Amino acid sequence: MKNRRWGVYVPFALNELKRNLAYKGSFYLFILCSCFGAFISYYLWMAIYGSSETGILGGLTRNEMILYVFMTYVTGNLVNVEIVGYMENDVREGAVVMNLIKPIDYRLSLISKALGCVGYRFLAPSIFVWIGLEIYKAAVMGMNVISIGNALLYLVSTLFSVLIYQLFDFCFGLMAFVTTYMFGLKMAKNALISFLTGQLIPISFFPEIFQRIFDFLPFSSMLYTPVMIYLGKYTGEALAVVLLRQVIWIVVLYGLGTFLWQRITKRLIVLGG
Amino acid sequence: MEIEVRNVSKEFVSPKKYPGLKGAVKGLFSNEKVRKMAVEDISFSIEQGEIVGYIGSNGAGKSTTIKMLTGILEPTRGECLVHGINPSKERKKNAQNIGVVFGQRTQLWWDLPLSESFTILKEIYNVSDDEYKAQMKFLNQVLELEEFFTRPVRNLSLGQRMRADLGAALLHNPKVLYLDEPTIGLDLVVKDNIRKAIREINEKYRTTVVLTTHDIEDIEELCSRIIIIDDGRKIYDGSLAELKEKYGVTRKVTMEVKNIKEALQVDLSSLLKVPKEAYQITAEMGTNSVEIAFDKHCLGISEVIAQYMQHTEVRDIQIQETELSEIVKVIYRHGMEQENKQEEGMVS
Repeated sequence: MKNRRWGVYVPFALNELKRNLAYKGSFYLFILCSCFGAFISYYLWMAIYGSSETGILGGLTRNEMILYVFMTYVTGNLVNVEIVGYMENDVREGAVVMNLIKPIDYRLSLISKALGCVGYRFLAPSIFVWIGLEIYKAAVMGMNVISIGNALLYLVSTLFSVLIYQLFDFCFGLMAFVTTYMFGLKMAKNALISFLTGQLIPISFFPEIFQRIFDFLPFSSMLYTPVMIYLGKYTGEALAVVLLRQVIWIVVLYGLGTFLWQRITKRLIVLGG
Repeated sequence: MEIEVRNVSKEFVSPKKYPGLKGAVKGLFSNEKVRKMAVEDISFSIEQGEIVGYIGSNGAGKSTTIKMLTGILEPTRGECLVHGINPSKERKKNAQNIGVVFGQRTQLWWDLPLSESFTILKEIYNVSDDEYKAQMKFLNQVLELEEFFTRPVRNLSLGQRMRADLGAALLHNPKVLYLDEPTIGLDLVVKDNIRKAIREINEKYRTTVVLTTHDIEDIEELCSRIIIIDDGRKIYDGSLAELKEKYGVTRKVTMEVKNIKEALQVDLSSLLKVPKEAYQITAEMGTNSVEIAFDKHCLGISEVIAQYMQHTEVRDIQIQETELSEIVKVIYRHGMEQENKQEEGMVS
């Protein structure tokens, strides 16, 4: 029985994967655009390192920064699958109703859908960018290729990040049920997230006090943690702490989402029809 | 008892809106709420295997009731039971027993071939392979899904999509089927097919069907019983025949005659000894036809025809019964008049 309950959500993931494949054009455009962003920040950082005297900024060397920029791109690509987008669509088109008439959990179906999308993005282009980066690392930078253990740790942490991001996004998306219009809020959220998760600037660049505050927010667990694990910045006890922090955020956000969902479904009106 | 609704009310609370730009600004600071009773104290029960027409004008509260029965909305007061389950308390358990078609929406996956949607639904409702095969065979028979089974849903015509949606709602062989305007926007042939399919499914599985519609023909062809609600309140619950008996008392006979002047001289009141108010005659010179509308409790249809046959030469006769749509119109108007009276009463 337990087994079947999860099996129900597998088709959601698979279908999202297929759906993404059906719109190939838009997906290649998406890859191109986001790659563009990664290269912009690459050149920006290179300029900054070029004019700095020490060669180490925010605890990162020039080479580490290159890795940081591209691994942020790889990871962010996997993590930033917007559940809010699905939810907003569902609310605007009244499709929430169609979801609620089925014997399934709405949130789990959304997350499964998102995981399907994550799977697709892992295949195209994340894994290839990653492999390319490893080759570059070995051939140009003269560094060792990442160890299997580290790669696994990175993947586990990324999976946690994906879940944290989606559980957070679900709570955020519930606002769509109240406001029915999310464009402005989504823009604000994306700006805030790219700043707080370390996508724009590594968190180690912030003053000590801000870093402490960021430790208490879920955002650093969404992106910064796996990338830093990849860079090998966490070892031993520190590694256990950051992974535990991710798990705690998963539990907390899951609970919060359940609570908010129960509150909000009681006052569902804006479903149309 | 398959469906049981006991004193259910649903109240919607929304912030008060004011007109104009000034109003929009005012709305930001005011905390006033508007309460609207969408459904007020409705009770009814439906037996297994019944096809019930649930009708009412726009905004009468039909969809709200359906949504409460599916567990999407929670009643403000009162309680529903569907197949022994309270839908708002155990939504997922209830969902396993019901199938729903909202005519204006689709539950199919828009971008995928129809076959994929059915595969997903098979998983969701935990339909076994054998059941799936058997049910698909039956659905193909009544809905003819095969011809577009591999096409993406977004490429289907409205009629095909509706058939597909009906099939999707029936895949897990639900005990109760809710159809919210299933024939909206369809052409006559497709409408007919959909109705036939609904009837066949009802006959084969004794599926209970609750149908909301504005299409009177749907009701006449499918439903043995109707419930009419207006402004959130139930105003009629009974068989279709009974409704016609009660409200459809006027009959209409149209006769094409050879000589219209002669026909007009026929004086029914003196011949049949009934008051003049009991009937109404309108004549149309162009087509040489006379139309007699009369109360069927005062006059018999055969008497009327016989009198005309005796006194003039009749070429053609047409007998019309009052259409349900007209009855419904009368009932709605009746409801509104009552309300107006109440309001006047309050003023004075």
